[in-house]
Amino acid sequence: MANSPTITAPSPSFQSSLSHLKITLQPNGSSKSNSLPPSSIHSPAIFAHDLTEQLNEAEKAKYIKDRKVGEGTYANVYLGHLASNPSSLVAIKKIKIQADYKEGLAPDAVRELKFLQELSHPNIISLLSVYSSKGQNLNLVLEYLPLGDLEMMIKDHDIVYGTADMKAWMGMLCRAVYFCHANFVLHRDIKPNNLLIASDGSLKLADFGLARSFSNPGRPMTTNVITTWYRPPELFFGAKHYAGAVDVWSVGMVFAELILRAPYVWANSEIEQIAKICETLGTPTEENWPGVTRLPKYIVHEPVKPLISREEWMARLGAVGAVGVDLVVEMLTFDPRRRITAEGALRHGWWSVEPRPTALRELPRKREGGQERMGEDLKRRPGILDDEQGAKVARKLEFGGMK
Amino acid sequence: MSRLAKPSSLEDPTKDICPVCKSNRYLNPSLQFLINPECYHRMCSTCVDRIFTSGPASCPVPHCGKTLRKKGFHAAFFGDLKIEREVDVRKRVGKVFNRRQDEFETLLDWNNYLEEVEGLVFDIVEGSPKTRAQAEERLKQYREGNEAEIEENRLAALDETEQQRRREKSERDALRQRRLAELREEEEVKMDVAQSKREVLNRLANEDIDAETITKQAQKVILKKTSARRNLADQEASVRESLTIRGLKKKEAPVKEEPYDAFGGMNMEPTKYVLQHHYDHEWLDKTTSGPLHTVGGWDVHDYYARTMFEAFSGLGVFIEDEVADREPVSTAAGTVAATDRVAPKIKFKQKIKMESDDVF
Repeated sequence: MANSPTITAPSPSFQSSLSHLKITLQPNGSSKSNSLPPSSIHSPAIFAHDLTEQLNEAEKAKYIKDRKVGEGTYANVYLGHLASNPSSLVAIKKIKIQADYKEGLAPDAVRELKFLQELSHPNIISLLSVYSSKGQNLNLVLEYLPLGDLEMMIKDHDIVYGTADMKAWMGMLCRAVYFCHANFVLHRDIKPNNLLIASDGSLKLADFGLARSFSNPGRPMTTNVITTWYRPPELFFGAKHYAGAVDVWSVGMVFAELILRAPYVWANSEIEQIAKICETLGTPTEENWPGVTRLPKYIVHEPVKPLISREEWMARLGAVGAVGVDLVVEMLTFDPRRRITAEGALRHGWWSVEPRPTALRELPRKREGGQERMGEDLKRRPGILDDEQGAKVARKLEFGGMK
Repeated sequence: MSRLAKPSSLEDPTKDICPVCKSNRYLNPSLQFLINPECYHRMCSTCVDRIFTSGPASCPVPHCGKTLRKKGFHAAFFGDLKIEREVDVRKRVGKVFNRRQDEFETLLDWNNYLEEVEGLVFDIVEGSPKTRAQAEERLKQYREGNEAEIEENRLAALDETEQQRRREKSERDALRQRRLAELREEEEVKMDVAQSKREVLNRLANEDIDAETITKQAQKVILKKTSARRNLADQEASVRESLTIRGLKKKEAPVKEEPYDAFGGMNMEPTKYVLQHHYDHEWLDKTTSGPLHTVGGWDVHDYYARTMFEAFSGLGVFIEDEVADREPVSTAAGTVAATDRVAPKIKFKQKIKMESDDVF
């Protein structure tokens, strides 16, 4: 508290910090002898030395934190509101200082900031403001989304949803992904618990901690992105040059999960995951994916399984009708060049066949627990940057009740 | 009727004095007070008869001087004459300002209208003589200006009450019918049972079949009849149910649904340039021709699109326009451009700034 605004006993540092403001304090510092009105002493502007700090203070003063709704290793999440309007709620994600990134900001925070600031779409969580507190913590002021996430809807068996509801959710998800891709942003972490639900029922894509822009020619990208269960085969095979197709695979997996109300292809490790993909969908080979064997980490188990037939797809995911299954199959195509694009998905015939997507206000929704859920979702470390953390993230999904 | 104007001090009849003739309830137990909505001065019915029978006369209360007629006198409904007066004013204003909510485009407009009417009522009830006169003048002007509409709304209201009355009547009728039907049915059941008993006895007496089979047959017949009747009753009940639904809103013409737009109104097609399928570039062709570059899904067309997009993004965007759109209070707008998005307005921003490198 070296520079706390106490008038009665000014410390030397206090005096020096004020010296350039030409305020002379008596050496014994009695409050009566101080000619400065006390109110102006408490104004933060006096301590903010330059314009950026003043702007930061002004921004910070606009929001008030109410209570903590989630705490994680990566970030704390608070419920807050606008200082000028207590009824307009926001979520404030306060990113912790990370041991690995002593210098500057953690990359996931930078990514989140960079892309959320630019992307403004009804199905993408909106970033309302950014400020730093205590000169070191980054605070992201995000839209308040009180109704939990899609994973909650999938796992809560008290909630009944039908094809029309799935179509509405998938429609919103595809729009969000298309919007990202049309602006040349890869999300790289699409999964049900990154799909939050707003108070009007609309779906919002959140957590841009792994996002990046489409890469330049010849520049490799990391393959260690996207939570394992939603990761496409080309990333497991070590393809360093990929594009929007990786997100589309995740969208397809989310779609299948919505239909089955359980993860479609899931395993505990990356090796098992690729084995599981081969087992469930068939083995990627030169026939169905030309050039795949030249990918650096291409390993598949013998015997080679043929791709599953249409009848099998229908038997598993037939709940959405033949046209709907068509769309899943196109999203879960092995060859990323032949996989449907986000734009293609939106042009698919499924949207126009019956039933019509449910209107927002009629979508099933959860009554309680959404606030905490949002806290949970936002505090999570986005995605995976190495194997150990990858294992941790997968474990955090808590599908323990399934076995 | 407890709400009827009762003398304020029933327990002490001597306090209930007619301000005109000074007779009180103690002397005259049948004392009844009347008022005239011209001035709301209270006087007993004897005084009214005495003063106004021979024609209009001025109010006997000192300094009032309003000319009153006998026809205008009636017993006050409320004990508090201020309330009586306010209710009368409301009735009078309500007859003129009889607009209905569905005439207004938005709820806000309707509420503003209601507030205006309320202000007028307040001016008449509570205002000083001057504001009262002004308010009365406004009322008169409005009445003269909107005669046709007022009449129309009055008729509509009448129509509505008439419909309501009819609906209630039909409900009552239906209820009565139902009760009668139930009675009739009970009667029928009784007769049926009695008749089948008689038949069984007859058959037992005249026919030559085993007694047990006869009784069994008879029971079956009875069961069949009752179940048939019950089915019929159920059907009727469902029909009747549809007659007695309360609180139905007026039917609205169903809004024709637009076909679902999967894109939700998004159009990301470039407007300022046409994207070619191929651009000749030696380095690009060399770098991206390797199989490792494409087998994972990387596509040079994405790169063409992005490069063109970035080259043209920002064209046609003017800072002055953005600043003018922004609320004047947001001072920190330079660093945090997102603050003006607090209101949930949908804005598709097409401009995206990218740094060339993101090593992750």
